[in-house]
Amino acid sequence: MNKTRISVSQIKADLKASWAIAKKDMRIYYIKPGTLMFGVLFPLFMFLSFAVGKNAPAATLIPGLISITLLFSASSIGPMVIPTERRVKTFERLLSAPISFYSIILGKTLGGFLFSLAIGVIPLLIGLVWFGTQVISVLSLVLGLALPAFCFATLGIMFASFPTENPGDIMMLLNFVRLPLIFISGLYIPIESLPDWGQVVAAFSPLTYANDLVRYAFEGRTGYGPVLDVIVLLFFTVAFLFVGMRLDKKFRK
Amino acid sequence: MENVIEAINLTKYYNEFLAVDHIKFEVEKGEIFGFLGPNGAGKTTTIRMLTGLTKPSEGTARIFGHDIQSETIVAKRYMGIVPEISNIYDDLSAWDNLMFTGELYRVNKSERERRAKELLDMFGLYDRRNEKTKGFSKGMRRRLTISMGLISNPQSLFLDEPTSGLDVQSVLIIKDVVRELNQKGVTIFLTTHDIEEANVTCDRVAIIHKGKMAAIDTPERLKKTIQSVQSIEVAFDKALPKIMKELENIPLVNKVHKEGDKFRLYTQDPATVLSGLWEYAKANNLKPISLSTLGPSLEDVFVRLTEIDIKTERRNLNE
Repeated sequence: MNKTRISVSQIKADLKASWAIAKKDMRIYYIKPGTLMFGVLFPLFMFLSFAVGKNAPAATLIPGLISITLLFSASSIGPMVIPTERRVKTFERLLSAPISFYSIILGKTLGGFLFSLAIGVIPLLIGLVWFGTQVISVLSLVLGLALPAFCFATLGIMFASFPTENPGDIMMLLNFVRLPLIFISGLYIPIESLPDWGQVVAAFSPLTYANDLVRYAFEGRTGYGPVLDVIVLLFFTVAFLFVGMRLDKKFRK
Repeated sequence: MENVIEAINLTKYYNEFLAVDHIKFEVEKGEIFGFLGPNGAGKTTTIRMLTGLTKPSEGTARIFGHDIQSETIVAKRYMGIVPEISNIYDDLSAWDNLMFTGELYRVNKSERERRAKELLDMFGLYDRRNEKTKGFSKGMRRRLTISMGLISNPQSLFLDEPTSGLDVQSVLIIKDVVRELNQKGVTIFLTTHDIEEANVTCDRVAIIHKGKMAAIDTPERLKKTIQSVQSIEVAFDKALPKIMKELENIPLVNKVHKEGDKFRLYTQDPATVLSGLWEYAKANNLKPISLSTLGPSLEDVFVRLTEIDIKTERRNLNE
C-alpha cells in the first residue's frame, strides 16, 4: 500500500516536472520569432512548391498542408533542443534532478507537441477562413491534429537520442527520413494512385495515417478508416518513445 | 556517526580503460570531505557515479542509505549538485533559473520564492535577479549555479571545482557560504585542484590517483605521514647569480624551490641545514630578511602520493 502511494506521488511529481520542462523549453526555444517563422514558412513553401499549378480544390490541399506542417514543426524541436542542451550541459541539470528519465522525455515531447499544435492551427485557419473549407468530423480533426503532433514530436525525440552535441547532425539524419515520407504518404499523390510497391511502403509511414485522418475530417474520404489511423499513430508514438529511450540508455552508458 | 555518502567498490571502465578502480570511502554527516587528484585521476567520474549521472561498471554508492542505482530518485532528493561547468539557462533570468530548478526538486511555490530570495541575497545576486543570465560574469554564473544546487535545501552538497578560475569576490563569497552551510549541518563533498583550499576547508581529504584511492585522512594526519619532507623558507636582502645551485650544495638539503623572492630548502634535518644556511649567508654577505621552518604541506603529500614530478610533467606535455 505504501509502495503504491509512493509511486503515485512520484508519478504526480514526474508529470509536474514534465510540465515545468515543457514550459521552460517553450519560453527559451519556441516562442522566438525565428522559430515561429521557420515553423510556419518552411512547410508552407514546401507545400506550395508542389501544390501550385495543380488546380486542385482547397479541401484537397488543406489536409496535406496541415499534415506536413505538423510533421516538420513537431519533429524539429527535439533534435534542435536536446543536442544544444547537451552542449551547454543544461541537459545534465535535468538528468541530475530527482525525476525519472521518462518525465524528461515527456517534457521535451510535450513542448514539441504544443508548439506543433499552435503552428498546425495556422493552415487550418487558412483553410477555414480563406478557402471556406468545411469540417465534416470535428472529432477526427481534433485527433488528426493532436495525435500526429505528439507522434512526430516523439519521432524527433527518438532521433535526438543519438549522442551528438550538434543539432545539424541530427537534422541531416532526420531529413533523410522526413523528406521521402512526404512523397510516399499520399500528400500529393493519392495512395490508391501509387504503384503496388508504393502502397506497401506508404503503409509504414506515420504521415500516411496522419494525412488520412485529417483528410477524413475535411472530406469524409479515407483509405484506412479513422479508427485504424488512430491505432497506428498510437503504435508509432509508443514505438518511437520506446526506441528513443532504449537508444538514449545505450548511448549514455 | 551516520554515513551520508558511501562509495562501495565504485569502478568505471570506458571500454578497456579503467577510469576508477574499486574505490571505497564513507563521508559522515556534517563533514566537509575533499576529493583531490590530478587531472584525469577519476575525480569527475567518481562524483558522476555518486550522483547517479554515470552508471558504475561495478560497485555502487549509497546516499543517506539509499542505493543510487536502485533508489536513484530518492537518493537524489537528498543532494544538491553543482557541476564543474556552470550549467544555467542563459535565456532565463537568475530568478527564473531558480524557480525552474525548484520545480524539478518539488519545492512548492511559496517556499521556492522564499528560498530564491534568500539565496540570491546570500550570493550577492538579488539586485540582478530579473536580468537574463547571458550577461553574467563567470563568477556570477558560478554563484547562481551553486544557488540552484541549494534551492531544495539539500542535506548534502556535491561541489565539483567550485572556485576554479573565479574572481576573488566570488571565491570569498563561495567559501563563506560553504562554511556557513557546513555549520548548519550540511555535508559537503568537494572536488578541487586547490590543495590549500582543501587544507583549510576540509575535515578529511581523499587523494585519488590513476583511478585508485591513494590516501584518505584528515589533512594534518596526512601531513604527518611524510614528516621527512620538512623545509626552511628563507628570503635574503639581495640575490646572487648562482644562489640556487649554492643553496642545493648545503649539506642535507634535498632540493631547493624558488617561490617569489623566497627560497624553500627541503630537508629531513632542518637544524643542521639552518647552521649551514647561516654559514653560507655570512660567507656571501647576505642578510636573511625572513626565515621560517615549515612542516610538510598538503601539497607535499599530494605530490608525494601522486608521484608528480614537474620536469616529467613538462616533458610529457611537450611530447
